[in-house]
Amino acid sequence: MNCLEFRRRLGSEPSCTLVDFAAHRAACSFCWAAHARAEEFELRVQRALGVPVPVNLADRILLAQTTQFRHGTRHRRRGFAAFAVAAAASIIVALITLNGPAGTMPELSAMVAEHLEEHVVDADDAGRRVANEDVVGAFAGRGLSLTVVPDGINYVHQCPAGPYRTVHMVMPDSSGPVSVVYVVDRKADKRVDFRSDGMRGRELPLGDGSLVMLAQSDAGFDAIEGAWRSAMAESVALAADPDARLAAIVEIVQNVRAVGRPLAAP
Amino acid sequence: MPRPLGRCLHVQGDCKEFVRRPVYLPMSSRQNQFEALVRGHSTDLYRYAYWLCGQDALAQDLVQDTFLRAWRALDKLREVAAVKTWLITILRREHARLFERKSMPSDDIDDFDLTDPQATPERTTEESALRQAIAQLEPKYREPLVLQVLGGFSCAEIAVQLGLGEAAVMTQLFRARQKLKGQLGLEDQAAEVSEL
Repeated sequence: MNCLEFRRRLGSEPSCTLVDFAAHRAACSFCWAAHARAEEFELRVQRALGVPVPVNLADRILLAQTTQFRHGTRHRRRGFAAFAVAAAASIIVALITLNGPAGTMPELSAMVAEHLEEHVVDADDAGRRVANEDVVGAFAGRGLSLTVVPDGINYVHQCPAGPYRTVHMVMPDSSGPVSVVYVVDRKADKRVDFRSDGMRGRELPLGDGSLVMLAQSDAGFDAIEGAWRSAMAESVALAADPDARLAAIVEIVQNVRAVGRPLAAP
Repeated sequence: MPRPLGRCLHVQGDCKEFVRRPVYLPMSSRQNQFEALVRGHSTDLYRYAYWLCGQDALAQDLVQDTFLRAWRALDKLREVAAVKTWLITILRREHARLFERKSMPSDDIDDFDLTDPQATPERTTEESALRQAIAQLEPKYREPLVLQVLGGFSCAEIAVQLGLGEAAVMTQLFRARQKLKGQLGLEDQAAEVSEL
């Protein structure tokens, strides 16, 4: 290996372990110095690429897996009846899409609507409700300890909406399914009802986040809002301290696994 | 160091997270294996996802979806040594699916969230400049660089991951570093080859 080959290799693979590479480095003082500079640069690149990892990421993944595994077990038992909720949600999305852009929608709700458009709901059963512990688990995964779970949630999943982290739910109402999305890390400025191209929506600040509802009819919005206001009034943000947060998540998961009911207020 | 519970699947580095007390008990061996997988690889996978999509929330969801898919396909995993490659492949597919649904190419990502609340002022200056430079690299240069530096993959392994020839990967990695050095004002280092 000559100097040119060495430098080319150094530029593309500084940690190269080829025998020829190592031999040339030992024999050529200029290339040895270039290699030392390259190693220093690599260290800087490595530090820059090592962006901070969210606290308890692994625990939240394990929690989501536990929740989804429970869904999966029920899914196998009940067959393929699950597409009813997906169909209902698709109708909502189709109405949004076919009737043009949502001009009067607040920005946050628009992000939620965009998420609904891309998200294929995989719920269990239109007529069956999600177990309370699944809802508690989804909120715990987003850093909230939910002590009261509103009735009538047929689907729950942790989803992104734009840059925000949400819990996406479907709550059937007498007038049809309502997509209910709790945005954890963005608080709406004010409570606002909106109509956009045949869709009804409501966005409101709730706790430290926002609740967004989208449906064909707003007949059920007041009841759903009331239920979530009561639920969130008793919810507790999981501690920011990593150890306390981990302990809280562990407690939630163990409670969900062992007892199958939501936690008492901590 | 206390003896880790279960079998460690982390190929490279030390699994500091792995030695924590288990969160879920009792666990099946499959669950044990999965937990080891998550604890051993979620950090690297998150960082890879972050540099792939540029957004913290999206990266977290990508990693979560990757592991959920891995859980469902865990029985297909035959070579423990190849687990990181396997997870990276799943994550890249999840990312591709996401952007297919959104109908936007990954090249459009230019809004990297590069804030680091834990950074000290000294580190901020040095690292933020480099992070900005990395974020500004074209994906075809950035992705192999991330795979090599963070993932510890060789050029040949990256070539397989990206479906490219090894020579092409080497060229991209070479150019990625040249561009970074150029943006950081290290032109003397960048010019070392051309001077030969």
